[in-house]
Amino acid sequence: MTENAKFTATLIAALFAAWLLSGDRFLDLVFEMVDLGRLDDIVIEGAVILEDAKANLGLPDIFAALRGVLHWVLGV
Amino acid sequence: MVFPTLQFILFFALVLVLNGLVWSRGTWRKALLIAASYTFYAAWDVRFLALMAGVSAVAWIGGLVPSRAARIASVAALIATLALFKYFNFFALSLQQLLNATMFARDMQWISIILPVGVSFYIFQAVSYVIDAHRGHITPRRNPTDVFLYISFFPQLVAGPIVRAAHFLPQIDAPVVPDAAARALAAVLILMGLFKKMVVANYLSVLLVDPAFALPEGQNTITAIAATLGYAVQIYCDFSGYSDIAIGIALLLGYRFQRNFNQPYRAASLREFWQRWHISLSTWIRDYLYIPLGGNSGSVLRQTCTALLTMTLAGLWHGAGWNFLLWGFLHGAGLMAERVLRPRIRLPQAIATALVFGFVCLLWIPFRAADPAETVAMLGAVVSPTGFAPVDLSVTALVLIAIGIAVNWLPMRWLPATQSALARLPAPAQAGLLASGIWLMFAAAQDGVAPFIYFQF
Repeated sequence: MTENAKFTATLIAALFAAWLLSGDRFLDLVFEMVDLGRLDDIVIEGAVILEDAKANLGLPDIFAALRGVLHWVLGV
Repeated sequence: MVFPTLQFILFFALVLVLNGLVWSRGTWRKALLIAASYTFYAAWDVRFLALMAGVSAVAWIGGLVPSRAARIASVAALIATLALFKYFNFFALSLQQLLNATMFARDMQWISIILPVGVSFYIFQAVSYVIDAHRGHITPRRNPTDVFLYISFFPQLVAGPIVRAAHFLPQIDAPVVPDAAARALAAVLILMGLFKKMVVANYLSVLLVDPAFALPEGQNTITAIAATLGYAVQIYCDFSGYSDIAIGIALLLGYRFQRNFNQPYRAASLREFWQRWHISLSTWIRDYLYIPLGGNSGSVLRQTCTALLTMTLAGLWHGAGWNFLLWGFLHGAGLMAERVLRPRIRLPQAIATALVFGFVCLLWIPFRAADPAETVAMLGAVVSPTGFAPVDLSVTALVLIAIGIAVNWLPMRWLPATQSALARLPAPAQAGLLASGIWLMFAAAQDGVAPFIYFQF
């Protein structure tokens, strides 16, 4: 594996982990996207499966906690 | 689709992986990047894909045709397209107002044309492509995909930098695999850009600038000056932040853009300011407008007219409105005044820098104001000791202004030094740092994403 491939793989894995530890929902993004016609059903179904899997893991929403702290520090 | 969104992160992650998979297959790589760029653009409005494809086709044909007349016709077609989409509403409204002010008043039914996002940027790239081919600065491409990719490449598509064909086309043939130094630079630029946009620019906009400019006549001297300073910082952080992110993501895909900002508020002259601010537009205007119009040659009167016309048109490029015309004209007047006065008056560097910063900030008022009346109201507030509804000056807003100015004054060596330190890390550590930084910026940001200011241009 090249250094660049390692970089890309780690970046995606880290962003995926960040999503797991956040309350953000893929489903909301999917509904904001351009209408993909027949593909929409497949994408929505995939997003629902991912969301369910994430919910079943029961991981804490660390992102929201961090957000609360940072907003408190920033005074906003 | 805006850069600092989860939607874009998902999109970019997919493009990054696919780009790596087809790296060694030139045709597939170009097809992938064109498809990605058109998808990126379709996220705003799918109807304008045809416009972008049409502009690319005109540029491609204009570059290939041997006759001078045909090339001029293709440039004219591109400029006419820009004029139609960007300025039709403005001129129609102005004509209506003019008629209403005379005895010929009548209610005319104008069509309203939607402004396609980024149209000024990609049409300028198309124009420069045809002119450069005509001047012999580039060899026009026979393969249309090269030109279509050059015009539509998504990192710079909607808000620049305005990339030159001579710089970009050779990279299409042979993009450079990002090495440790390139990845480090990309990470620094992306994180810096996100910080400038999501933290400094967005919060300043909400906490200070928007409320003050919403009621300029209610401000007093202190809040009007703070709002003007706030806007100077906001627009710098917003636009240079976008450029930083664009340059960073292009680097990760194997393409290098030239820098678009170089600490503009350090400038000790207006001329220097324009060499540091939106560099890709300044150099475009210099090469394709100012010099062909006569540039620094001819009498003082002719030079003055050329500078005023060029800068007024540069103002109009930013937006179809009298405030942008005024902004450009005054910058032109300032440049001419500076040219006349500079040999006669020698100022210490610090005083010259402060004067230039003050002048630039003052001219941000008409740039930010919705119309001339709002400009006059805000200028009036600057000299008014009391206001009936001044905005609350929060500590956060003042700190953000200070941070924004500090970013502009970072030592010149900070970027290479930071890049060098990051480049020594193994690739997974670089990626982990970038992902953590992105997460932190998203956490610090306010809810919702304000679009970048320069998208409207």
